[in-house]
This record gives sequence, C-alpha cells and structure tokens, in this order.
Amino acid sequence: MSSHAAPALGTVTALQSALAAEHAAVYGYGVAGAYLSGGQQATATTDWVAHQVARDRLEAMLRSAGASQPTAAVAYQLPMPVRNAREAVALAVVLEDRVATAYLGLVALSNTAIRQYGAQQVQASALRAAAWRGSTVAFPGLTSAALAAPRPPGSH
Amino acid sequence: MLAAAAMLPLAAVSGCDGVDVLAAPPSPAPDVTVLREAIAAEQLLITSYTAVLRDAGKAGGSPASLTAVLEPLLAEHREHLSQLKSRLVIPAGSAASPSPTRRAAPPKAPGAGSAGVAFLRAAEQAAAAAMLDRLRGAPGSLAQLYASISASEATHVPVLDAAAAGTTSQVTG
Repeated sequence: MSSHAAPALGTVTALQSALAAEHAAVYGYGVAGAYLSGGQQATATTDWVAHQVARDRLEAMLRSAGASQPTAAVAYQLPMPVRNAREAVALAVVLEDRVATAYLGLVALSNTAIRQYGAQQVQASALRAAAWRGSTVAFPGLTSAALAAPRPPGSH
Repeated sequence: MLAAAAMLPLAAVSGCDGVDVLAAPPSPAPDVTVLREAIAAEQLLITSYTAVLRDAGKAGGSPASLTAVLEPLLAEHREHLSQLKSRLVIPAGSAASPSPTRRAAPPKAPGAGSAGVAFLRAAEQAAAAAMLDRLRGAPGSLAQLYASISASEATHVPVLDAAAAGTTSQVTG
C-alpha cells in the first residue's frame, strides 16, 4: 500500500478488522498451546508464529497508510472453555475460521494487491484449520449468511 | 454487476428505435465470462472425481477407503458448483446459455487408484491457483466466493497427499 495516497475508509476498516482477528489468534494460540503436547504443541507454536508475522504485516500496512493500528487487548474472552487438549484443538479451529473471515474482508476490496494478500491469508488459515479439524470445509471463512443471501439483480 | 449486465440488452432494446433484431447478441460482461469459466472448472473437477471413484473398484486395493476420502471432497465441489451457479442470473427470455462461453478441455482419463489420486491432486492445485486468478476485477462478493473456494481446494491437496501415502486418518499435524 502506498503511503502517498490516503486509503479509503473501507480499506482501513478491513485492515483493522484483520489485525484485530490476528491479535485474538495470537492470544488464543497462547492459551491453546498450554494444553497441547508433542506434535500438536509444535504445530500450535508454528501457527502462533505465523499469526505473529501476519499481525506485524498488517500493522506495517496500516502504519504505511497513516492509519491507527488497534492494539492487542490484555486478555480475550475465549469463545469456549479450554481445559484440555481436545478443547484446545477446537479453539484453534475457531480462531482460524475467524481469521479467514476477517481476511475475506480484504478480498472484497478493489485494491488488487490487498485483495490478493487477503486471499493468500484465507488459504493459509483454511489449511491450518483443516489440519486441526482433521477434515475440510467447502467455504472457508464464508458465513452461512453470506452463502444463503439471495442476490437481487445489480447487487454485485 | 453480473445480473445488471445480463439485463443490459433488454434495456437497450426497449429504449431505442430501429433496433436490428438480427444483430449478433452482445458479448457477456467480462465478469460473467469469468464466472462461467469458474463453473466449467468446477464441473471438470466433479467429472474427474466421479471418474476416479467409478474406477476405484476396478483397480483393486481398498476402494472403500479411497471412496471414504474422495466422496467428501466431491461433495464440497458440488457445493462450490451450486454456489457459483447461483451467482449467474440469466434473464427470463434471454437466449443466453448457462454453459460457459469458453469450455475447458475434457479431462484426460484420470486413471485408477494411486494414479487417479495423483491426477486429482494436480487438478486441485491447478484449480486453486486458477480460482485466485479470477479475483482481479471481480465484484467484491464474488471475489470472496472465489477466494473461499480456492482455499477449500487448497485444503484438498494435503488430504489427497495423505490418501496417496495410505494415511487417511489425519490431514496433517
């Protein structure tokens, strides 16, 4: 993203939403990793680092755009209780699904470079989610509402 | 503006004098053409999966385990196809065909057993990349669908890798 032209408000909002999702993922993997061991813990560590890298990239993009960068919360309300390895794996799946949804917000933008970056990150999240879930899904990141909504003429 | 673009010929006819009714129909908007290509690509994948599943029983080995791996992936491709088709609006009375303007080449015989799985793996990789190429210029909501389908197809690759290695119990990690 160029620092010479102010990005559209929608672009900044989408980048900030993706950054917020990455902050939550970094926190969540920290919790999940504590309940995992062996290969699963190693995978969680790898994924945790991947989210840190993505977080830093988004912060740089927002900084370059002259936009504010949401900071990480001290703690996050987890979407479910995490008390054992099985629940830690379930948390990792939810985190990845939410990150994928946030990056689809970038895909909706008209900026080609940001759109492609968003799509790459959706794919990365989908691969991590599938690894944790042990199965695949047809539409990573897309909500059921987005899939079910009828599209009147001219809505695209 | 897929639906709006498809409506354009009707609007033009209703508002003009001396319309040449024998003129060639206007070309579909570029995003309609791309959407039809995406539909054709999904149909091709479905055809390939169906062929490999059909031949699985002929190849010996353990067709039941291969079927258990491939059937869910095939089901996801059918969902992809259904969603893509739902984005294509053909106005009533239009002569436009729902079939793609540029048909993909028919697939080679995928082969059976491990050869079939290898064929599907390559097809999934190519399809995921091609779907990303369709992002440029696509309307926002359609771009999101392309990106999500591309991601789904990318996740099929490690599943097929595991199937090829005979370890279908877990995708990775």
